Amino acid sequence: MSESVYYVYCIAESSAVAQLSADSLPAAIEEDAQLEWIVVSTLAALASRVPKITYSEEQLTEHLTDATWTAIRAMRHETVVEYVAKRVTTIPLRFATIYLERDGIEEMLTEQARDLQLIIEQLRGREEWGVNVYSDRTALLSSITSVSPVLRELVEQAEKASPGQSYLMQKKIDAMKVDEARAAVNRIIDQVEEKLKEQSDDGLRLRILKVETTEHGELKAKFAFLVKRSGFEEFRDAAERLAQEHQAAGLRLELTGPWPVYNFVTGFTG
Amino acid sequence: MADFDQIIVGEEWESTDLSLLETLDHVLNRGLVIAGEITISVADIDLIFVGLNVLVSSVETAHEVLRKREIE
Repeated sequence: MSESVYYVYCIAESSAVAQLSADSLPAAIEEDAQLEWIVVSTLAALASRVPKITYSEEQLTEHLTDATWTAIRAMRHETVVEYVAKRVTTIPLRFATIYLERDGIEEMLTEQARDLQLIIEQLRGREEWGVNVYSDRTALLSSITSVSPVLRELVEQAEKASPGQSYLMQKKIDAMKVDEARAAVNRIIDQVEEKLKEQSDDGLRLRILKVETTEHGELKAKFAFLVKRSGFEEFRDAAERLAQEHQAAGLRLELTGPWPVYNFVTGFTG
Repeated sequence: MADFDQIIVGEEWESTDLSLLETLDHVLNRGLVIAGEITISVADIDLIFVGLNVLVSSVETAHEVLRKREIE
């Protein structure tokens, strides 16, 4: 490879990665280069060489505007981090962390050793699970009438009223349904967060990238939870109970994972 | 990605393929931000997502990306 720089994927403990077979590591982010562990004392960073011409500041910014280019490389990054995270406690790095020299990585591992070790201790034996909450609007609106006494009474009155009165009451009912439904969804989402936090070490509400409507309804909330491997059954059971409890209201829960702990290492900038 | 599961919790258990966007969101937007000599900025990330949202709005394109990933 002509002039190259280093792409860094993740950091783990050197004693743990020594047990990993180098042969079975997945492909690196670019061809013509192998993944290699850069070891400094108790820590190791997984890196591979990439062409300087592609990953210079200017070129990289240019490439990132190409969604296909970025998506392919993001998937390769993911494959590498996932492979390691399944086997040892891993600190996943954000996509496209580049060092010009190998020395730079060694320096970072030396200077940040204490903080990195601390993060590893917090993550040991834990995985990240995603929870998505979907709401089916039709099911929710129809069930809202049966659970709200005020609404039910209005519906009964509207049935007995004169056509003109009934029309106006129906307008009021429809407006109330929407408000009640929104409030119900928010209440349930808060409850999901609270209950699942009890079954995990940490929980975060994430931003929703775009309004996603699936066969399960519209995505209303996204969470990430840091869950002990040994406590996953309880976590899943709690999610199952919440799902059953709110199914009639048109709510669906979806678990995704286990992920490398992407959401529980942010905020530390070295 | 192949090893990840998406589980619909409820009356039945069901595993499906994770959406490409879900995976990309994790990889691109999160993870430890360490002071590399070159790193992407937050502004870049938002820009990437504009492109990716367009990209994955087409299922065909998303499959194409995954296929390419396997071939390359």
